Amino acid sequence: MVDQTAMGAPIKSADQKSKEAYFTASQMQLVWARFKKNKAAMIAGTVLIGIILMGFFAPFLSPYDPTIAGRDKEYQNGAPQIPMFCDHNGCSARPFLHTLERTRSIKTNFRWVTEINTEQRRYVELFPTGWEYRLFSFELNLPGEALDIAIPGFRMTTHLFGVDKGGIHLFGTDHAGKDIFSRTLHAIYTSLAVGTIGVFISFVLALVIGGASGYFGGWVDGVLQMFTDAIRTVPAIPLFMALAAFVPDEWSSEARFFFISIILGFIGWPTLARRVRTHLLTERNQEYVLAAKMCGASPTHVIRRHLLPSFTSYIIVDLVISFPYMVLSETALSFIGLGLKEPVNSLGVLLQSVTSADVLLNYQWYFIPVIFFVGMVLAFVFVGDGLRDAADPYSDHK
Amino acid sequence: MLRFIQFACTRAAMAVFTLLLVSFIVFTLMEMVPGNCAERYLAFKNTQGEQISIENIRAEEQRLGLDKPYIQRWAGWVGNVFLRGDFGDSCILRVNINQLLGDKIWISLGICFTALLVAYLIALPVGIISATVSSPGLNNSLRLVSYLGLALPNFLLALMIMLFSTMVFGDTLTGMFSKEFRDAPWSYDRVIDFLSHAWLPIFILGWSATAFALQTVRALMSDEYGKLYVTAARARGVTGGKLLWRYPARHALGPIINSLGFDLNRVFNELPIVAVILTLSEAGSLLLEGLARSNDQQLAGAIIFMLTAAIVSLNFMTDILLSLIDPRVRKSVMGG
Repeated sequence: MVDQTAMGAPIKSADQKSKEAYFTASQMQLVWARFKKNKAAMIAGTVLIGIILMGFFAPFLSPYDPTIAGRDKEYQNGAPQIPMFCDHNGCSARPFLHTLERTRSIKTNFRWVTEINTEQRRYVELFPTGWEYRLFSFELNLPGEALDIAIPGFRMTTHLFGVDKGGIHLFGTDHAGKDIFSRTLHAIYTSLAVGTIGVFISFVLALVIGGASGYFGGWVDGVLQMFTDAIRTVPAIPLFMALAAFVPDEWSSEARFFFISIILGFIGWPTLARRVRTHLLTERNQEYVLAAKMCGASPTHVIRRHLLPSFTSYIIVDLVISFPYMVLSETALSFIGLGLKEPVNSLGVLLQSVTSADVLLNYQWYFIPVIFFVGMVLAFVFVGDGLRDAADPYSDHK
Repeated sequence: MLRFIQFACTRAAMAVFTLLLVSFIVFTLMEMVPGNCAERYLAFKNTQGEQISIENIRAEEQRLGLDKPYIQRWAGWVGNVFLRGDFGDSCILRVNINQLLGDKIWISLGICFTALLVAYLIALPVGIISATVSSPGLNNSLRLVSYLGLALPNFLLALMIMLFSTMVFGDTLTGMFSKEFRDAPWSYDRVIDFLSHAWLPIFILGWSATAFALQTVRALMSDEYGKLYVTAARARGVTGGKLLWRYPARHALGPIINSLGFDLNRVFNELPIVAVILTLSEAGSLLLEGLARSNDQQLAGAIIFMLTAAIVSLNFMTDILLSLIDPRVRKSVMGG
């Protein structure tokens, strides 16, 4: 007996510790522990964080202004330029590009032609000074004075990379000479911003409508559900097209941007509202809710303090899952010319010109941003799925 | 039987009510657009060099009945639509909308339904097999395909196909009819020509519908497959396809039929954008034309109403179908 307790004690304590850690862990810690086990979701999460950081630091990472101000007049519809380390003249530790020369002669029928001079090199430099930009700044210029918000942020002119002479265009340039690499990075930022606002709005609507419907039940639930179902049957994009077409042309690009995000939010809420409702309907009959009610808590208090925390993790998962659909709808709308317009950059705006035969046949690098967006949406979908599995307490037992 | 008729009637009444509610929402939205039809039409005339005064606008409003109260106009519109199937005249084009939409809307609906059908023809067997066969290679590749279906939206897929076909075949594969058949009456040759063009939009629209359907079928099947009644059936010696069709597939079928309406909704969402890329002059791009170029509220309202009506009637049919084939639902409908 003595022997056994002496042997068992250290093992037991280690075992107990992990058990205790498990039992005292918060919901978030449990979710995180399960999420870490899912390899695909972890990889997707890393990719996603990378993409989000790229979006946030877009001005720093991009060597050129993505608007018409930063265009390269010498290199329009230019092919992607990949920095290299070696050429026929030998290798260098510093990556370089070859020099471009624009010539016009009888040989080219007197048209300007860009030629690559492989004898001369232009070296890539780190942290050069370029166009001025602001990090973490936020400006809003809606119709009406009271709605204008401006957070100045930091002024900076340093960029991650550039070349000493001429331009470097990793993804080539478009018909106006704008750098597609810079535009892609800024487009990521725009899409994330539109998605965030849209998700936020639909989230608030879903909480209010779904919450009221689920908590009160009865005829309130009946009326609200009828309304929600009617909204759900209307195909969103055609309706959205009908609404977006009413945006006056003279609106500023920021105002347009907010209008689009708001509409996206107004379309996305029914699915989430239904889930909130279903959850509340089962949860409102639990004892702890009854206890709170007996103590005289008001409905808003019960919903806010007792019911919402019971399914925060599900809501977060739903938000992550609905995010890519917001991004995709924005892209689709901008693509057909009803959403965002230049000088705002988003994937839809970038793709506006690609259906022309000229681009399809000659300038396929216009499609490079698509890869980033498919990557971003895939990463979101994987992370959302991983989170859903992790938030489901029964997923371990399957 | 009487109970069933009662059930069908309630469902039908609910469907009509939903349609009324939707038509009210759509009509209200159309009404919120700044400027009414008379102003817009006369503004258009103004650009043609005609002098327009306030009196002209008032007279035109009176002629179109725009001076009546809002609810009365809505009632008139809905009454015409429901009783006579008449959507009135287009605001800008001054043509009857029924004539304008003509068989275009039927072609669009046909394409969407075919896409949905193709999606389920693929998704049902593949989903069932993948839920029951536990091979990680097959499962992972299926997951990847369905994720790609979600992440590569239809319009990007359409663009990719166009990029590919221009690079390889030098043809952009656009349009719904060849030139010589565009305005020709329906004939055998026109149908063949139509089919030779229609496969591409059907494929593109079906692509993400398949991805969604595949996920649903798989999830439902793997949920049911682990249940005890399946094990019990297997213990009694039922195996193979018989086991699948008799037991879990029947259970999984209910929710799938139930979600058909929302799948159709999703296909409708994709239709206009795909139509723009493939330059199909069908309902989708007609909608864009009506809205973006000319703010033609009547046309837009008619199209949205038609699409919603298709979804509502599909929902109605699936409800009825479910009550016929699913004993659980049948019991709750018929009682005892």
